Amino acid sequence: MNRRRRVAIAGGKRNESFKSWLIMLPRLLLFAFFVWEPLLESVRMSLYKTENVELVKFIGLKNFISVMGKANFSQALVNTFAYTFWSLLIGFLLPIVLAMIIGETVRGKGFFRTAAYLPNMLPGLAVIILWSAFFSGEKSGVLNILLSKLGTPAQTYLTRANLVIPIIITIATWKGAGATALIYMAAMAGVNPELYEAATIDGASVWQRVRHILLPSIRKLAGTLLILQIISVFQIMYEPMVLTKGGPDNASLSLMQLMWQYAFGGSMDYGKASAVAVIVTAILLLMTVVYSYFNNKESDWD
Amino acid sequence: MKKSSKALALLLVLCFLIAGCGGQKDANAPATASATEAPKATDVPQVSEELKEELNALTSDVIDPDLTCTITLGNWPADTAPAAELAVFEGYKATMAKQYPNVTLVPDYYSYTLSNYVPMAKGGTAPSIFQPPFTDPQLLIGQGLVGDVTDALAACGALEKFSPSYVEMLADKNGRIYGLPRDGYVLGMHINIALFREAGLVDEEGLPIYPKTLQELAEYGQIIKEKTGKAGLVFPASETYGGWLFTNIAWNFGCVGENALEYQDEDGRWVCNFTSPQAIAAMEYIRDLKWKYDILNADATTTDWAGSHSSLGTGEAAMNFAADDSVDQPTANKGLPLEDFALIPFPAGPEGRYALAGGTCYMFAPNITADQATALMAYLRILGKLPFLDEDIIAGMRSDYAAKRDRGAPVLPAISAWNDEEYNNAKRAIIDEFCNVDMRLYNDFFDSISEGTISLRAEEPAFAQQLYRELTAVIQRMITREGADVVKALTQAQESFQEYLDDEINNN
Repeated sequence: MNRRRRVAIAGGKRNESFKSWLIMLPRLLLFAFFVWEPLLESVRMSLYKTENVELVKFIGLKNFISVMGKANFSQALVNTFAYTFWSLLIGFLLPIVLAMIIGETVRGKGFFRTAAYLPNMLPGLAVIILWSAFFSGEKSGVLNILLSKLGTPAQTYLTRANLVIPIIITIATWKGAGATALIYMAAMAGVNPELYEAATIDGASVWQRVRHILLPSIRKLAGTLLILQIISVFQIMYEPMVLTKGGPDNASLSLMQLMWQYAFGGSMDYGKASAVAVIVTAILLLMTVVYSYFNNKESDWD
Repeated sequence: MKKSSKALALLLVLCFLIAGCGGQKDANAPATASATEAPKATDVPQVSEELKEELNALTSDVIDPDLTCTITLGNWPADTAPAAELAVFEGYKATMAKQYPNVTLVPDYYSYTLSNYVPMAKGGTAPSIFQPPFTDPQLLIGQGLVGDVTDALAACGALEKFSPSYVEMLADKNGRIYGLPRDGYVLGMHINIALFREAGLVDEEGLPIYPKTLQELAEYGQIIKEKTGKAGLVFPASETYGGWLFTNIAWNFGCVGENALEYQDEDGRWVCNFTSPQAIAAMEYIRDLKWKYDILNADATTTDWAGSHSSLGTGEAAMNFAADDSVDQPTANKGLPLEDFALIPFPAGPEGRYALAGGTCYMFAPNITADQATALMAYLRILGKLPFLDEDIIAGMRSDYAAKRDRGAPVLPAISAWNDEEYNNAKRAIIDEFCNVDMRLYNDFFDSISEGTISLRAEEPAFAQQLYRELTAVIQRMITREGADVVKALTQAQESFQEYLDDEINNN
């Protein structure tokens, strides 16, 4: 290849590269403006004493120390992990099971698919208000009316510290499981049917087919959805805020709700609110890195 | 084709960016069609003849043709508001247009919350006038987020009539005024008479035999719970509401003066004092309401202000700590008949009889000009919120009370924030004309204030919302855990709030 030709190729590549950057430029600008800048600004704000949204004085890590030293932070941190735990317990397997059941349904598949997805179409606040009527501790609460038919006296639910988080997660799962199930169904539909046929001919039971064909086929997707679920649940806010207001006695207070309290709960301390936000981001980043590490390692083994 | 598509795409993106980066809205720019557009006259539903007459009276001559500016009016009623209310506001607007032809009024549906106001004030888009509760003025004044109207207020002659207690709440350290009272309220107790009747707690005239002390409240609540199965007392113990109500109970247990829940020591340092014997006794009382007397609503920890009114209005509870400014909530809004509703004084405690006095005020955007401040005072004068009497103002008041009566809300004497006897008497005369309730169900409340048998107190002075939040958490623990340790919980809350006070004031 002569020199002129090499220069021409290099020039062409540069030209293409320039064009590519030009095409990406609006997206990058928008991304920088709406995502990166607020993100970095939040980190910067967490290091300052603030007066409403203005940065008054650089105070290093004082906001972090102050926030983390308070009892409500440790309570909110424990609660947030509890939300995640209950979410994985109640909400992780359910969409898979739901997808498998709907996938195996012969008649009315479309109906069941729509029915499963329907709660996801309801506005989040409406769902919370709906369920608050269900779990009301008054005699007029729906669950209490049902229990009264069985002769059980009225109970309280949302005022019990040990019940509120599982209840909130149940509601969130009721709303979101259908949408996740649809994603699993799409993945399950992609599994080669010949594998099932071969397994059936070889005498594999339903459980064996699920275990050795279906689950390995959706494992990567499940891993991705798992980490997305953790990230999402870790940022839970409006459900406890509307349903229990973080109570009783901070038993359902989440980290994001604590952040909201610092910013808008009366003290307007955006510096401390940003510190909580940065801590949440750091925890989520750490969890994502750990997940990616094990995921990559597993891929290497594969 | 491809090139032209790319060019078009880039052009579109550029347009979006330019639109997104548009400058601030000019405060004096003419109103444009937007969310803040005024309801069209044709949209205003029909109102009663009597109300029309009142509105027709809202006309007068030009007062100042030279005053030229634009003011945006927060809290303008939404299109879905009752017809009578909309018509009243349209009347105010028409009067303003006649008296000040060069002042442009831009109605704005904006409803204040601390969280939505701050970015608007910083961005220069806050409405010229808005209505925060009395818990927020000092916070907003301290952070420079509101406008000074002292000169405009002095120019119209209202400054000297301002009640000193309200000046304290709405001025900075230099005495500059940043707000005006809209409505003052005093905390008392709402009663569902139907449940009192069912429990046999009415006299031969059918008037409720109501609790005059906190002890009686517990006992009467117990009778009501036993006889009706409904909660004796609805207690909103969520967010900050529980702590807010608790402070009033604590005052009646003696948490005032040197035993106050928070105070400034000789060095000027703010001290939290949740563990005084008086505060502990008050919290034990709350605990007993749940575990000894069992009179509270089942979901107290998730009940908020609106929920408590709803419980009383729908007959789920017999009593609710509430003020005179929210009597429309259980009645007009939740359907409790006026004859089944009463407002009584806050029950006395073992160490005194206090009631919280507060309310809602008008405050102003930080960037208002002198002309805008003058126009805003003129607007408030038309609304009847300044202590002046003329035909227009009286007509405005009459319209207001007629609208209230039309929608079935109790029309009651208002607690005035102005030291002006003539104004206060005239207002009372108009209210009497429109009064739609049996005043025997309200007299004790108002008499307790006018005769001074109950002492009025403002909210706790330093970081009240945070204080309420801390105390609400303690209350929640008390009413959800039977064996909860009062002293331990209050000590923890005290440490937490003291740390907050140190961070925010003492160490600065």
